[in-house]
Amino acid sequence: MRGRTVRLGAGMAFWGDSVRPAIEMVERGEIDYLCCDHLAELTMSILAKQRARNPEHGHTRDILDLLRGALPMCVEKGVKVVSNSGGANPRAAAERVLELCKELGLSGIRIGVVTGDDIESEIDVLMADGVSFANLDTGAELETVRSKLTHAAVYTGCEGIVEALRLGADVVICGRVTDIALYLGPLVHEFGWPLDDWVRLGMATVVAHAIECGGQATGGLYAGDWAGVEGLETLGYPIAEVSDDGTAVLTKTPGSGGRVDIGTVSEQLVYEILDPGRYLTADVTADFTQVRLEEIGPDQVRITGGTGRARPETLKVNMGYRAGFIGEAQFTYTWPDAWAKAQRGIEFLKRRLDRAGFVHGDEIVEYIGHTSMWGDRVPPPTDPETPEIVVRYAARCPDAEQARKVFTESVPLYNNGPAGVAGVGTRPPVKELYAIWPCLIPRERVVQSVEMLEA
Amino acid sequence: MRVVDVAHGRSGDKGDTCNVGLVAYDDAGYDVLLREVTEERVAAHYGDLVKGTVTRYELPGIKALNFVLTGALDGGGTLSLRSDHLGKVMYAWLLRMEIGDPSNAGVS
Repeated sequence: MRGRTVRLGAGMAFWGDSVRPAIEMVERGEIDYLCCDHLAELTMSILAKQRARNPEHGHTRDILDLLRGALPMCVEKGVKVVSNSGGANPRAAAERVLELCKELGLSGIRIGVVTGDDIESEIDVLMADGVSFANLDTGAELETVRSKLTHAAVYTGCEGIVEALRLGADVVICGRVTDIALYLGPLVHEFGWPLDDWVRLGMATVVAHAIECGGQATGGLYAGDWAGVEGLETLGYPIAEVSDDGTAVLTKTPGSGGRVDIGTVSEQLVYEILDPGRYLTADVTADFTQVRLEEIGPDQVRITGGTGRARPETLKVNMGYRAGFIGEAQFTYTWPDAWAKAQRGIEFLKRRLDRAGFVHGDEIVEYIGHTSMWGDRVPPPTDPETPEIVVRYAARCPDAEQARKVFTESVPLYNNGPAGVAGVGTRPPVKELYAIWPCLIPRERVVQSVEMLEA
Repeated sequence: MRVVDVAHGRSGDKGDTCNVGLVAYDDAGYDVLLREVTEERVAAHYGDLVKGTVTRYELPGIKALNFVLTGALDGGGTLSLRSDHLGKVMYAWLLRMEIGDPSNAGVS
């Protein structure tokens, strides 16, 4: 630990995020830890599908792109990397990192693999023991979707990361730990906070939440003075210099684009939260309600006022299940009479689909540029002088064959439908749908374990 | 006056729930938000876009309100047919809401 603060950098915010900001942060950000979140709700379903096809797959490969650029410098500067890129297959991710270390000529690198989140193979045993896995939102029984499950992952907390760091890990690869745990783990390790120090853990959770979405805290997506944010192309990702009481000064990589001020941080603090007085995580129930921000210098914001209460006795489980496919088509009608032609074009498509024996669930028609964001809150483009109307039709379908019909039955619009059409386009990939089954598991039934590999 | 005149915002998804955070530019703006941007008016403003409930929470230290909209994303980000399946621009619709005159609570 350096002095009385620990500097945490938010390296990645999602699978596919640019790796450049993380590399620059290691170069110039004087960070102690690079914390990388690669997993969104949908990501685990995709990764589980990849693992089912190939037992070596199922992790996010961007960790390798990131480490290829950053790991030699991390070793030189003593920066540790904590990542949930393991996804549905943390062990395989760690093996790939080992191979990368060899390729880069790095030796003595310790890789901690944190598992325990994947409970798919234990569902029967757990249910026999009385864990219902009833849907948190609807109360429905798991049996209704059991045959279609793709994965079952528990949002696990920071304990595995703390243990891996205690064992000397340079790189920690986890499965589905919470985004927050990626930040709490290093802090608990460095400061030696007890795991029931709810006030510190709650405050630190607020700090982690502020930076875990990377560039969204430093000017990305800023809705306030959006035109005044300079350097979005080279946006620096956020860094939290955390004190022993869990409060922090938020900043970003020196010399990078974007800005850190009360506006950009406030907006991110309210991103994807529910009740701010009861922000549930695996490690603590955090309370955001009294959070305060203070600008103490250029791109420097002090964050205080967060607190917490006891962690929940249950952990959240997200299971994924296959929920059919989306069939989709898009085409554009032009003046004159763009609206009337668009209506005729939609009618044409629906009649052809009927004749093709199309089986589908809910469907949607959007006029892009008019109604695609706020639906019928916005009047449809009925003015006969409207220059162009982009029509998007989509439907939920039980299988890929039905979904493909939406495109194939739209293609004849080019020659056989009303005049003034363009942009029917090429065949889009058929998109498989995964639904999320949120449920709970008693905390004591989930045990994280740590395995150390060494390059 | 519209919400955009006193606040900025951001929105996102948790399953089929969308949350919309509003952050006032100053103390006077926060007072306006507290007074004018009620659960009832927000529900009316979103209309059919929100099938479930609207709940408001306060974060006075950062002059922010958080609105939790259930049943707002056509089944949730992984299932939704909507172009904005993650609710990323739901905040902007709330910024368009007319405030200061209760008769403007509906579509604007």
